[in-house]
Amino acid sequence: MKITITDWKDVAGWRWDVPDDEVCGICRVPFDACCPTCKIPGDDCPLIWGECSHVFHMHCLLKWLEAESSQQQCPMDRRPWVTAK
Amino acid sequence: MHKIWAQRKAEAAVQKLEQKRPAGSTPAERLLQKELSELVELKDTKIIPTESILKFNMLYRPSEGYYKGGEFEFKFVIGTNFPHEPPKVLCTNHIYHPNIDTAGNICLNILREDWKPVLNIQAVIFGIRMLFQEPNPEDPLNKDAAKQMVNNPQEFARIVKSSMSGYRIGDVEYDNVLVGLEHDKAW
Repeated sequence: MKITITDWKDVAGWRWDVPDDEVCGICRVPFDACCPTCKIPGDDCPLIWGECSHVFHMHCLLKWLEAESSQQQCPMDRRPWVTAK
Repeated sequence: MHKIWAQRKAEAAVQKLEQKRPAGSTPAERLLQKELSELVELKDTKIIPTESILKFNMLYRPSEGYYKGGEFEFKFVIGTNFPHEPPKVLCTNHIYHPNIDTAGNICLNILREDWKPVLNIQAVIFGIRMLFQEPNPEDPLNKDAAKQMVNNPQEFARIVKSSMSGYRIGDVEYDNVLVGLEHDKAW
């Protein structure tokens, strides 16, 4: 049998490189969804990893670091926040 | 057939509940709704909701320590910036406690300088219970009570007891918070 493909559609999935079912410790929304102020998950609402190994939605963490009371510390362990490279 | 009816009834009940309290529209409301539904059930505390999800009261009956036998009420108000700022919690009773002043302000580190957004309502509830099981005279709001607790624990215990039955001590009138025999009954 000879077939000719005239058209096809690709479908791909993606997810952040974090364990299944994990949620952001700040907003408690799953990492694969976006932070509470964004509407669409993806590159516009990325995750951020600290050298202390803790991870958050970037927007959630930045909002915390903006607050004076944060003293620029990781909200999990209170060590100075250093973004992992 | 019975099962179907029961299920419909349950669905209707859930729907009614959701109408009364629509799914939170702000991030703080959504988070709070989630937190409240996931609270560990404690025998000594009870949450009393109000019309706003951002406000609720908590009743607490300490099962041990100086304050056993009393029932204390706390008012929680959560700002729209939650969890980036801590909930505001006041004790609505006038009580004699080293870490609580007569205006109801509570001196608990996680309600102030040690708050961080990974903490939650559950942590605050545990913190408040802790303050009643073990008042902390090192960090007082009511300095006289703290001094008394350190210098003369027996006298402190006596003053706590009489304040809890609504006596006036010095120039402060305290609230009667005793629940008597009701104490061990379930809510």
